[in-house]
Amino acid sequence: MSTTVYQAKRIVTMNPAQPAATHVAVRDGRILAVGDLDRMAAWGAFELDTRFADKVLLPGFVEGHCHLKEGGMWDRPYLGWFDRRDPQGKVWPGVRSMDAAVARLSEIDAQMAAAGQPADAPLVVWGFDPIYFGGERMTVEHLDRVGNGTRRIVVAHANGHLLNASSAMLAAAGVDGDCEVEGVVKFDRGPLAGQPTGELQEPAAMYLVLKHVGNAGLLAPLDDAGLRAFGAICKLQGVTTATDLVNRLGEAELAVLRRNTDDDDFPVRILPAFQAFHGTHGAAAGAEHVRSLIPTSTDRLRFGLVKMMLDGSIQGYSARLRWPGYVNGAPNGIWVTAPSQYEADFEVYHRAGLTIHSHTNGDEASLAAIDAVERVLARAPRPDHRHTLQHGQMIDRPMFDRMAQLGLCANLFANHLWYWGDQHHDMTMGPDRAHRLDDCRAALDAGVRLAIHSDAPVTPLAPLFTAWCAVNRITPSGRVLGASQRLRVDEALHAITLGPAWTLKLDHEIGSIEVGKRADFAVLGDDPFAVDPMALKDIPVWGTVLSGRVFPAGG
Amino acid sequence: MCSRPVAEASPAPIPFTVIGGFLGAGKTTLLNRWLARADALRIAVLVNDFGAINIDAGLVAQAGSDAIALSNGCVCCAIGDDLSAALAKVLAAQPCFDAVVVEASGVSDPWRIAQYALAEPQLQLQAVLLLVDAAALAQHLADPLLIDSLTRPLAHADLVLLNHADRASAADLQTARAWVRADAQRRERHAPPIIETTQADLPLALLADRLYTPHGGGLGMRPADHGAQFQAWQQQPAGTFDEARLRAWLRALPPGVLRLKGWLPLADGRWLAVQWAGRHASFKRLATAPASGAALVAIGLAGQLPAAALGAGLQGCLQQNDG
Repeated sequence: MSTTVYQAKRIVTMNPAQPAATHVAVRDGRILAVGDLDRMAAWGAFELDTRFADKVLLPGFVEGHCHLKEGGMWDRPYLGWFDRRDPQGKVWPGVRSMDAAVARLSEIDAQMAAAGQPADAPLVVWGFDPIYFGGERMTVEHLDRVGNGTRRIVVAHANGHLLNASSAMLAAAGVDGDCEVEGVVKFDRGPLAGQPTGELQEPAAMYLVLKHVGNAGLLAPLDDAGLRAFGAICKLQGVTTATDLVNRLGEAELAVLRRNTDDDDFPVRILPAFQAFHGTHGAAAGAEHVRSLIPTSTDRLRFGLVKMMLDGSIQGYSARLRWPGYVNGAPNGIWVTAPSQYEADFEVYHRAGLTIHSHTNGDEASLAAIDAVERVLARAPRPDHRHTLQHGQMIDRPMFDRMAQLGLCANLFANHLWYWGDQHHDMTMGPDRAHRLDDCRAALDAGVRLAIHSDAPVTPLAPLFTAWCAVNRITPSGRVLGASQRLRVDEALHAITLGPAWTLKLDHEIGSIEVGKRADFAVLGDDPFAVDPMALKDIPVWGTVLSGRVFPAGG
Repeated sequence: MCSRPVAEASPAPIPFTVIGGFLGAGKTTLLNRWLARADALRIAVLVNDFGAINIDAGLVAQAGSDAIALSNGCVCCAIGDDLSAALAKVLAAQPCFDAVVVEASGVSDPWRIAQYALAEPQLQLQAVLLLVDAAALAQHLADPLLIDSLTRPLAHADLVLLNHADRASAADLQTARAWVRADAQRRERHAPPIIETTQADLPLALLADRLYTPHGGGLGMRPADHGAQFQAWQQQPAGTFDEARLRAWLRALPPGVLRLKGWLPLADGRWLAVQWAGRHASFKRLATAPASGAALVAIGLAGQLPAAALGAGLQGCLQQNDG
């Protein structure tokens, strides 16, 4: 029974009874003591480990809403607007113009040719988002400038609902001006009037191309390499516990999860949430399935979460908004699940004792969820259920007040403040509601248990960045969205540690550095309380410790 | 890949029907009925709620976690979260199915699913059928969260079934008809045909153009199959047609047409295959004459099919009428 004592420059515990320390003792993967060197002696002999002597330890970060696909995207090149770090730690610079996109694609095309890949091998990239190009759309006129114009190119968009194809790709797929599928966008003027622009919207139009290149890694099921890459990203970002917030949990998915998390070298604890919509199970069978998995949980693989989904996305204009709707006049979005179906299914999973995480982006969807949960709880009261609204980007104070009364937690999509804050201000919800976008302050003021998230791979997995968003509420144009709604640094750190741990019913086990909890640490190069709040996102991450095992980033 | 009896230059595509309708409208009842009494039609049914499909145990040949094969040759598959993948499996089956039916989820727009039939050459859009719970519609329309989702699918519904008609009052049925008409008026389109049903009792023949045959004459249905509810119209016109006029005419068909299809010769020796489904006209140029020769067939509800207007309209598209 060996004891290791880690010495650090500072330990930020998130335990209000002892906010700071310099030493932490670890035995059997758990925290034995926290304090100064003298206090460590109470439990007998120990080995002093000073490798973190110039580092700052925080509780391992908890990402309450991401997807393991964050690791699976990187088998294809990235073409997004923002800089993004890959699992090896390399930063891919953002692509800020169509010319830059063509240049990046030309490089890849040349690399493919140099590597001897056949001329008809498809070039597939991901992460593109036209919303940042000021109204300019990518077309075949851009993509056909790549190389000699014969490459089959597929540019998958960040939201997963659109792609762009080159003329060679369209020709191979048989898509021409006669194609009647509504999502095939066509030039409305100019020399190519009536011909496809190459932009394919929604699944049926994307199907035209994807069936010729396979799923191209975009929709492919997660494999061992993808899960390992996810683990590598977690080490780079200080994450020790992460959700996979929608998973079919079929035999294939379970096999990949178990095979990898059974390995002591796997660096992160995974909580997959069962897909309780668009699934193959009715609610009763789904609940039974999840319950049957719970006894098979291990330290690094925990079952028991359920994911439901009510609406779409705000920037995709598919979220359900209350009056006055979208500022650009777009029609209201869609229900992914009808509110009445949601309520009925929610009740089944709730009565089965499971914790339900509900995707609600628009305020009408959030309100429908709150109304449904209120009725379900009246019929079937259950203390300490920890049901959580996910995203909840437009929830206002009256709704947060009701959530507090109902014990509903909020996991807000703080990264939107940066990634789409300007677009929400100008194009989707307008200035008033954009100033209370992802209103962490109102949630805390109302007494709602709060977490914040990335929804990776929608935005990158990086809890310190997510905390930075909630603290600064700044957009790429320099606008501050609701200065009064900014969180303090301690509140934001809580929302990436104990806050999400609460929504996952793991706050007794993780989320702070105190006796009895798992020895999960984020090892940082700087103290988040000592740096300028605008530098929070730039604090270097050395790596992590998970249940007492040390995982250097990049190692 | 499918190999189908070759009637034209390319294999005949499989008819593809989408069933829309809110929860409780009777979609599952309809699908259960069709699967159980498929007759000689081998149907592939793709559903959202796999658990709700209730197939007589005696009919089940093989049951898996996401597909049930029936002894009558039909199959019922779960869509899950990937319709593309579910369709790919169905299209790869040998021998090919005679018809594919997809159930749209309660609040989704069936027209989005119909796009797959426009995208996939192995499929031909047959019809978009919209079921309505006539007894509950007034209550559903009073829900501000639902009214837009319920109304959107009307835009492309070829046939609106006012189901549970036995439970609906005269006022309910009137409300439902007025709702369909008002939406059409708002869109400045003709209202789709409306039929009242109980237990979603709709003829299977709608799934594969078996209600009519281009050269067989009349309805290919027994009276027990509700033959009296539907009416067919057909012509085997002589002469050649002006493509632009045909396109314009089909985009503004007179009211009362549920489904239309045919093959017509053009002045330049090519042929035009025309389809009307999903309230949407499709055209495909054929390099060679179809074996069936020139034919245009249409179906509508008995007494509502505008036979005279169809005949006159087709005449108006003849090439020699030019100038």
